[in-house]
Amino acid sequence: MHVIENRYNQVMSEIKNYLSPHRLDDAVKAMADGDVTVLCGGTDLTPQTDDGLKEYAGTLMNIRRIDGLAGIDLTDGKLRIGALTTVTGIMKDQLLNELAPVLIEAADQFASDQLRNASSLGGNICNASPAGDMIIPLLVLDAAVELASWQDDTLQTRLVPLDEFFVAPGKTVKQDNELLTAVIFDKPADAFVARFRKSGPRPALEIATVSIGAGGKLGNGSFKNVRVAMGSVAPTPLRARRVEAALEGKPLDADSIKAAVIAACKDATPIDDVRASAWYRDHLVRVFTEEVLNHVLENRN
Amino acid sequence: MMDQKVIALPIEKTTLIGQRVKKPDAPDKATGKTRYINDMLLPQMLIGKILHAGRPHAEIVSIDVSAAEMLPGVHGVLTGKDAAGLKFGFVRDNVALKEKVCCEHDEVAAVAAETEEIADQALRLIKVQYKDLPGIFSPEDGRKTDAPQIHDSFPENKSLHFEFRHGDLSAAEAASDFIVDDVFRVHHVTHCCMGTSCAIADFDDNGKLTIWSQTQYPYNYKMDLAPALGIHPGDIRVIQPPVGGAFGSKLDVYPYEPIAALLARKTGRPVKVIYSREEEFRSAPTRQAAVIHMRTGCTRDGTLTFRSADVLLDNGAYTSWGPTIPVVMMRTTSGHYRVPVIDFNAQAIYTNNPYAGSFRGYGNVQTTFATAQQMDMLAEQLDMDPLEFHLKNAQKSGETTPQKAFLRECALDECLSTAAQASDYTKKQKQYALERDQEGRYKKGIGLASAIHNAGGAKIHKSDGCGTILKVDDYARVTVITGASEIGQGIDAVINLIVAEELGVPLEHITIVNNDSDIAPWDVGVHASRTTFIAGNGARRAAVQARKQILNAATRITGMPAEDLDLRGGFVVQDSSGTKVIKLEKLLRRMHFQPEPELVMVTDYYEPNSEPEGADHISDHSAAYAHAVHVAEVTVDTYTGEVKVDKVTSAQDVGRVINLMGLEAQIEGGIAIGLGYALSEEMRLENGMLQNPRFRDYKVLTAPEMPQLDLHFIESDCSEGPYGAKGASELPTIVIAPAIANAVYNATGIRFRNPPLTPEKVSRAIWEKQQAAREN
Amino acid sequence: MSLKTEINFRLNGRPVTVEVPVTMKTLFMLRDVLDLTGTKYSCGEGECGACTIRLDGETVNSCLMYAVDCDGREVVTIEGLKTAEALHPMQQAFVDHGAIQCGFCMPGMIVQADYLAENNPELSREEMCRGLEGNICRCTGYTKVLDAIAAVVESGQ
Repeated sequence: MHVIENRYNQVMSEIKNYLSPHRLDDAVKAMADGDVTVLCGGTDLTPQTDDGLKEYAGTLMNIRRIDGLAGIDLTDGKLRIGALTTVTGIMKDQLLNELAPVLIEAADQFASDQLRNASSLGGNICNASPAGDMIIPLLVLDAAVELASWQDDTLQTRLVPLDEFFVAPGKTVKQDNELLTAVIFDKPADAFVARFRKSGPRPALEIATVSIGAGGKLGNGSFKNVRVAMGSVAPTPLRARRVEAALEGKPLDADSIKAAVIAACKDATPIDDVRASAWYRDHLVRVFTEEVLNHVLENRN
Repeated sequence: MMDQKVIALPIEKTTLIGQRVKKPDAPDKATGKTRYINDMLLPQMLIGKILHAGRPHAEIVSIDVSAAEMLPGVHGVLTGKDAAGLKFGFVRDNVALKEKVCCEHDEVAAVAAETEEIADQALRLIKVQYKDLPGIFSPEDGRKTDAPQIHDSFPENKSLHFEFRHGDLSAAEAASDFIVDDVFRVHHVTHCCMGTSCAIADFDDNGKLTIWSQTQYPYNYKMDLAPALGIHPGDIRVIQPPVGGAFGSKLDVYPYEPIAALLARKTGRPVKVIYSREEEFRSAPTRQAAVIHMRTGCTRDGTLTFRSADVLLDNGAYTSWGPTIPVVMMRTTSGHYRVPVIDFNAQAIYTNNPYAGSFRGYGNVQTTFATAQQMDMLAEQLDMDPLEFHLKNAQKSGETTPQKAFLRECALDECLSTAAQASDYTKKQKQYALERDQEGRYKKGIGLASAIHNAGGAKIHKSDGCGTILKVDDYARVTVITGASEIGQGIDAVINLIVAEELGVPLEHITIVNNDSDIAPWDVGVHASRTTFIAGNGARRAAVQARKQILNAATRITGMPAEDLDLRGGFVVQDSSGTKVIKLEKLLRRMHFQPEPELVMVTDYYEPNSEPEGADHISDHSAAYAHAVHVAEVTVDTYTGEVKVDKVTSAQDVGRVINLMGLEAQIEGGIAIGLGYALSEEMRLENGMLQNPRFRDYKVLTAPEMPQLDLHFIESDCSEGPYGAKGASELPTIVIAPAIANAVYNATGIRFRNPPLTPEKVSRAIWEKQQAAREN
Repeated sequence: MSLKTEINFRLNGRPVTVEVPVTMKTLFMLRDVLDLTGTKYSCGEGECGACTIRLDGETVNSCLMYAVDCDGREVVTIEGLKTAEALHPMQQAFVDHGAIQCGFCMPGMIVQADYLAENNPELSREEMCRGLEGNICRCTGYTKVLDAIAAVVESGQ
């Protein structure tokens, strides 16, 4: 005798169709009418539907079996991470460990083993949380996302720079008929150094109270192409432009770091919520900006 | 008193006492085979779900369940009118289903349906019209003259009141050279049992109720549940399946339980009610929150002169076991160190906040947070070596407290010396205090705290006893039927060990039955650190009776005197040589199959020789008391405010170690719960509504945060406890939090009177201190 | 009623075919459809780890994972660790070291512990702690859990 208990599936789903395509073409074709809920690891979809924050569309589409959407490669100087790559997959990847260690640093502080094993990069980006653990280092790497759709009877893709991707908490410029297929960034220059720092009451299993990533080319006497990103201090993951301006082209030293810290508090606009007050977030922004920049300094190749 | 005849096994001859004994139910739990109450299904069972009000204080203007009742698959819907007049609770202020809303989780309706999906849908179809009333969210507000009255029967929102006075307070104040005066605000936390609340109820055709319950006090539970249903307690059978934790949260009846029974009665089918984790956070009882205004005085030479405490309790919407903690709070106030003059006053005030029950450490956690910090503060004011100050005021064996607690075997000084020495406390405390104002991001701190707690039960009910029935069958297999509940704490392993010791049978040949009130004899419940002491004594007494009967039979058969015989390894042996005389099971069969059959079936009821807690609160209300001392070593990140606990050194008077592995496990777990209380756990209530009902935002300790532990067990050999053992499991939770607070003070010079010491709170206090220093 | 679909996968070493509602989570498929109640519901949101299972060799929170995603994959639950003759070494170690009290969190804890030990034969105490970040226990303070895992790692099983 079985009692079917769909705990937390309170809303009787209106789903009429379930798909699990193996080809990208079929997947984006199915999304053409925009009435599709994309399912991957479930790490965001489950809590959102359980809490009633999201409703299912007419079609539930499992994208985990689509060929060619996982995996990491380097081609023509560009690193491409397939959207289905899990956070664990990122942590273990040889290329990324060598060429973009800041991503590994963020992945290592991402939640628990169980969540790292299940969370896809595409899902983390599309979830568009202001905290966005994996988004922060990708912003520092000047990444772009590849969005695929079915238009004019063919598969089409477009690239959107990540710092233009986020609109509001949980909202991106991705259309309902688009699927995020990959994250792409240029292979960082040899002189490029980037570091990441995150906090929260429990070190890893956290939606960050504050997170900061910073990177740039550390050369003779100057820090160039500076990219600084912050999480949980604004409605979306933030490129800290004032901090970047305070550092760009100057030597990375105690003075420029001091200026950067002051600028950081102007870039960050944190709020009070159940996890932390605005005061504490501002305080951590100061502490972490200094820390991360000092780590960058220590890391020079 | 224990039967002291030569036939009882003296401690020198024991072989298992003090060893590491495995928990008998561990293998099934390790393989996933154990069926917890949460896993249970019964034939024809329905799922019960509760509609919670979701608002803190309101009249229910109307409630329309017609659509829900008509939904296919729904078998019954109940509202407040179905529970009207069936009041239950310590002061009879609660009912299973409400006609007025007094707190956020109040149960306004309940449905029983064939699946959870249907039950959820039915809840959504219930239409309730509320008229919101102004709410009271602090006891201070509840006391105001213009405050709305929450319950008709409790004017001015006054709930329970307690007081105790001993000696002349003004004289003691006048005689004091130093007085510390502080207000400590201790907060709401919750048990976070991994198995959420669950009850399954079923009425038989004679109108008798069987309830599968997570209760930890099965007999008085019947007495407390009956009025909520309008039935006789004798018509309730309580079955206790394995549970996923309790920690005191199951020492009272909570509405979901009579709701399960009312739904079962209405539908004629078994009904299971089980909480989601969010429901659990919102609806389960909390630890009692309080505002403690405490004052402690001493003379210049470091002798304590008085301690006074004025306590205001947030009663919450209903009175459960939270507001009764003053009975223990005053014991700490009067018994924590030698204090000649005591003034204690506590008032509970109704609010529209969630309400508190019992939680491991029960009132002593809250009070010791204050007393142990005030000891630290006085030591500093005296400019006296803290350890010397503690030792000066530490009671010795044979002393009695102002409330007549008789400290027959007291090892506070040994605990203090052991913990201080093992951690190098004195030297480090001085060193870190000196380093405090130097430059540097990370500051080390070391803090010492002690605590006293009941260790031989607490006679707050009409009996503090436990019944045991023991039989030994023809295969020398032993069954121990005990009233003591197993809630994960390991009383099963302790009883196994004791019985194996006395009867000389292998541990695997003992079965414990303790989960059916129709079978097992009375026990008052798992609380007050009493179970090893009282159920252990009961099991020992029963086993000794059986041993005596067996050895007397062996004498008749062999002609050897009983004093020369022993039971070892499943044999009757000659005591001095160990020579086997007869196999035990053979002897038992001979006893059975003789013209006048003799089976080994014994009963025992052990009532500890303590005195009942009376209205004047002057009695030796426990059969033993014990102390623990913790020295906590921390590293404070003064930038982020994070407090990392590096090491905890513990010295605890356990009387006698019975199951070493189980004891360590209980101490380690107790410390973890206390660390959460001290550093990270907090129910964030805003206008009576819980803002953080999930693990993501309510921080319980995880593995990386557990410090290194150095545990020392002091064996004071309690004359009343089984083999000298004392109760142990609450002390670690009680004493760790003030040890942490004292350590953080040592590191930062900042005194935290309001737990938890979260990173935000600590960094803010450090920042404010730095600001103040700059301004001067 | 919710849309259902049929899935085929390997469960504790055996092939299984089952029909599930498309929105059902793996945890509830295991407990309510397949009667494997070893894996526990304790939070339903991937925070406590009581629902941890092995999926194609990696551990995941089954409360978050949609059951339909089990299709074509290899699932191992706590019930799949022991053989007919004996407990799995990690299970036995937990018993021997007193790591189990109420036991409710233990199925998830043991599955995760086994995963950690398998992946890293030189697992240090610190790595063990980090690896258990996603598993909450309220009874034990984790100390004996770590002792048990250390014993397994040392014995090289």
